[in-house]
Amino acid sequence: MKRFLTTKGLIGIILLTVIGLIAIIGPMVIPAEAGTAMDMTARRSPPSLKHLFGTDQLGRDLLIRVILGARTSLQIAVSAVVMSIVLGLPLGLISGYFGGRIDNVLMRLVDTLLAFPALLLALTISAVLGPNVQNTIIAIGVAFTPFLARIIRGEALRVAQMPYVEAARSSGTTDSMIMVRHVLPNILPAVIVQGTISLAFAILAEAGLSFLGLGTQPPAASWGLMIQASRDQLDIAPWTALVPGLAVARTVLGLNMFGDVLRDILDPRSK
Amino acid sequence: MTYILNRLLSVILTLFLITLVTFAVTNILPGDVAMMIMGTQSNPEALAGLRESLGLNDPLLVQYGRWIGGMLSGDWGNSLIFKKPIAELLAQKAVASAIIVVMSMTIALAMAVPLGVWAAVHRDKWQDTVSSTSALMGVSLPDFFWGIVMILVFARWLGWFPSSGFVEPSVDFMGTLRHAFLPSLALGLGLMAHLTRMTRSTMTGILSQEFIRVARAKGLSERTVIWRYALANAIGPVITIAGLQIGYLFGSIIVMEFLFSYTGMGWLTYQALLNRDLPLIQATVFVIAAVVMLTNLAVDLLYVVIDPRIKLG
Amino acid sequence: MNAIVTVDHLRVEFATDGGTVVGVEDVSFTIAPGETLCVVGESGSGKSVTSLSLMRLVEFGGGTITAGALNFVRTDGSTLDVAAASPQVMGGVRGNEIGMIFQEPMTALNPVFTVERQLTDGLMLHKGISQQAASARALDLLKSVRIPEPERRLRQYPHELSGGMRQRVVIAMAMACEPKLLIADEPTTALDVTIQAEILALINRLKREKGMAVLFITHDMAVVAQMADRVVVMYRGRIVETGTVQQIFEHPREDYTKALLAAVPKLGEMKGKPAPERMRLIGDDAARAAQIAPKPRKPELLLQVKNLTTRFPVKGGILRRTVAQVHAVEDVSFALNVGETLALVGESGCGKSSCGRSILRLVEPTSGEVWIGGRDIGALNHHDLRRARADMQMVFQDPFASLNPYRRLKAQVAEPIQNFGLAHGAELEARVLQLFDRVRLPRDYMNRFPHELSGGQRQRVAIARALALNPKLIIADEAVSALDVSVQAQVLNLMMELQDDLGLSYLFISHDMAVVERVAHHVGVMYLGRIVEIGPRAAIFDSPTHPYTKSLLSAVPIADPNKRRFADDLTFKPISSPIYPLGYQPAPSTYSQVAPGHYVLQA
Repeated sequence: MKRFLTTKGLIGIILLTVIGLIAIIGPMVIPAEAGTAMDMTARRSPPSLKHLFGTDQLGRDLLIRVILGARTSLQIAVSAVVMSIVLGLPLGLISGYFGGRIDNVLMRLVDTLLAFPALLLALTISAVLGPNVQNTIIAIGVAFTPFLARIIRGEALRVAQMPYVEAARSSGTTDSMIMVRHVLPNILPAVIVQGTISLAFAILAEAGLSFLGLGTQPPAASWGLMIQASRDQLDIAPWTALVPGLAVARTVLGLNMFGDVLRDILDPRSK
Repeated sequence: MTYILNRLLSVILTLFLITLVTFAVTNILPGDVAMMIMGTQSNPEALAGLRESLGLNDPLLVQYGRWIGGMLSGDWGNSLIFKKPIAELLAQKAVASAIIVVMSMTIALAMAVPLGVWAAVHRDKWQDTVSSTSALMGVSLPDFFWGIVMILVFARWLGWFPSSGFVEPSVDFMGTLRHAFLPSLALGLGLMAHLTRMTRSTMTGILSQEFIRVARAKGLSERTVIWRYALANAIGPVITIAGLQIGYLFGSIIVMEFLFSYTGMGWLTYQALLNRDLPLIQATVFVIAAVVMLTNLAVDLLYVVIDPRIKLG
Repeated sequence: MNAIVTVDHLRVEFATDGGTVVGVEDVSFTIAPGETLCVVGESGSGKSVTSLSLMRLVEFGGGTITAGALNFVRTDGSTLDVAAASPQVMGGVRGNEIGMIFQEPMTALNPVFTVERQLTDGLMLHKGISQQAASARALDLLKSVRIPEPERRLRQYPHELSGGMRQRVVIAMAMACEPKLLIADEPTTALDVTIQAEILALINRLKREKGMAVLFITHDMAVVAQMADRVVVMYRGRIVETGTVQQIFEHPREDYTKALLAAVPKLGEMKGKPAPERMRLIGDDAARAAQIAPKPRKPELLLQVKNLTTRFPVKGGILRRTVAQVHAVEDVSFALNVGETLALVGESGCGKSSCGRSILRLVEPTSGEVWIGGRDIGALNHHDLRRARADMQMVFQDPFASLNPYRRLKAQVAEPIQNFGLAHGAELEARVLQLFDRVRLPRDYMNRFPHELSGGQRQRVAIARALALNPKLIIADEAVSALDVSVQAQVLNLMMELQDDLGLSYLFISHDMAVVERVAHHVGVMYLGRIVEIGPRAAIFDSPTHPYTKSLLSAVPIADPNKRRFADDLTFKPISSPIYPLGYQPAPSTYSQVAPGHYVLQA
């Protein structure tokens, strides 16, 4: 526990806690209509006491929209990463533990999928399925799976060769029990670290997808969408880009810092 | 020789698998291609006509065979939105993207290697903190956000570079570079951040090895130890990591070319996806994956040249 | 004679997350020209910190010299306090006036530079000679360390050389500028015994020829006895005792030195003794050891291995097809009686570990039979194999890797019992308690995690886990090799005690001939996958017949300074590769009996 208390770890934890709280509590206190309420008298107004972060081209309050966007971004990112772990964990575990032919076939497939840039894969899936929140989750989740499967497979392979696994096997422990009792707990740290880092990438991917119009659809509040909207008014209202951009940066930074510290603590090879 | 032959066979197999995945992603997932193209509101007769003309009523295997056969014979079909042969479009746009890819990778490596080495040498000191923190900031911002900042600063405020468009190199080569510079810089910054982190951890690992201690025990200066002994070992891994980033780069390029209205492969892919131009989607997705795969192959082969431990055989 | 090195009250500290840790403290000794001083100690004794301080390399590992002086008499006759020297001055001393060789020959050379470049860069730096002159000198150096085909080696990269050759190159590098002092930090620990003998002989010859002083760091008392003129014994960062090698080995003054020496098996000391004997331990363990006399028992066959062969595929090509085979175990046959120990000895890569693992079918043998309890293990299906394995358990080498770091010790010892539903609830708890008692671990350790234990304690847990199913056979794969010598002796005594009490049989896989002589009833010597000689322990050690057995035994250092064996240059036949093309069918192993029960492989 003490090792979390580095500067980096503390900043990471604080950032994540604040953003997490905003994403959870924000939508409870702010009525959904507030996010789309237009104030035509105050379009593109710079940050002021009335609108702390300013307003966009439709006079919508950016503070409120960035808070609502937190919920959208985190919801999509967390679901997508959970999905990629649910898909990638069994794939990587089986491939790494059993090795041999299963491993050859599965990893050939995974390597092929890795040739597709994750963002391209996600964009294509989203375009084919039709862009909405649920399909964005599927698109990012599927696109991230091969990468996770690769990492988990490497870890499982390493653990499967440990003497304690051989000892378990020679004392009559079945393969499924070995995987549950010995392999899984020992690869879990790597999965957690990778999951945290994937979460950062998923936030970026969601922002990218929405930015290109193939993710979250208007009028919902999403950081990527907000940045896209700011494109045409950069020189007159730069805050419309900065506010959502910094929101993304803060979240991803928090996740990366937390992930780094987690890796230092959990990854035995980094010691 | 055997090694090269094996790699070549492996490339062909992977290319085949890439076509399968491309075809699967665009066809097997739920969704009617004809409806994708014409929209859900279109009339049934027009839909049926389109299906027939696209050959969508044939079994999937036949469609796949037709696609592969076409590609092998050089007929990549026509784009539905551009009404032009796809092969022609691809050839045209590939140059534009190649410029950005090379430029951004050069920018990234030129900054990342010294920064990463610097951080590794002064591990856990302030230099490390500075380098690591800036790298962490870099990976934490979406690259299109960097792009927006670039447009704002270098195009709108300073007016040094154009904020959008592409010029054919045959028309005005300097103009090509000027147009490519901002998107490359934005892409390069994101890449740089990642490569700095990787260089640092690679160098840290190398510096803790026994042969570094042996070099010091020989009385060699720290400069020789770090920039000759250690770096010679880091180059291979760093190039490999840079090669793996090509995939990431080709993802980001879609966003960046869209942002800068830079008409390269990324822009083309985006137009295809946005307008559901199925033949063009299939072609661009396939080409990008193939390029990524071939780049990784090139990196592997380069590694053989750099590292004496890996022998062709 | 005036000392060339005078270490005076050296103190080195390390800054860690948990505050300052003292590496060594109050360390003083001298080294005379032409003398070999051995610094000996177990892990954590501070012996390496001392040698790194003398080179001022300790700083690169986060250490700081906080007190004391390290006076070194330079070539020009001036005295330099290394502890206070500037980095520039040290650059001129390192590699030039003091040479150093390290433990890991596999990683001590820069993998991407040729041997020539690594030999010449120090020369050009310190002597200011041309590339050509340096290359000529490099060739001379390779000749002086007796590397075969020295011209070719210059152009080669480190990975193209064997471990022994690499260590010769490292020595050549350290000798390049003809230093007055050579520091050797565990230079043979990672090497096989025959290569160790070659390297030790080489260091001795170079020392004699050049008249240089040698500071030799090691944990191995037998190596000390072979190499040292004088000895410094260290323990936990302090010097315990200093003296000539005769004084230390024949009249040790301190209890720690006595205990250390007692725990070291001396090759040849079992001559004329009919049965294995416990290790000597100072203190209460010794009293216990003395009480138990070995019980004579009637020979009763437990394990019979017939023509066991294990080959590993070498994969290649796009389809990962098998392109060649490693003949790890080749037509191996032996028998093991109830309550006895058969030791399989040999150097790395000889197939002894693969043999043990093939018996348990942790790797699938290619052919052959393994009979235990009237069943052929090789013919069992998956289900029956699981049951049959309960009779045979394994103890592994690495105490840090043989326990799952995320499970409590209780759960790990209980797991085999649960697997077969042999006990539940309170009964299970009682069984586990009993097992902890059996291996002499405190009962409250049951709820601990592996990282809270020392290496020796972990190995006891591993033994407890192996005992959980009441096996008849334990395959101990280098089970004590990673342990410090005093801990090794304790674990060996525990194993022998268990054998007497429970009638266990051991297949004791080891590279350490001195330990094997102590514990084994029968010995099989393995070479390139085959048993080249097998027989009763006394027969193998007293009248070795196969040439390989002979050279192996002649290479073992003896922990007795009066029995020195590495004065002259030694070269042993290098071990060839056990990789053969597909379809290669080697001739079967045929043996001739030279004495009752003593068989030798026919050439």
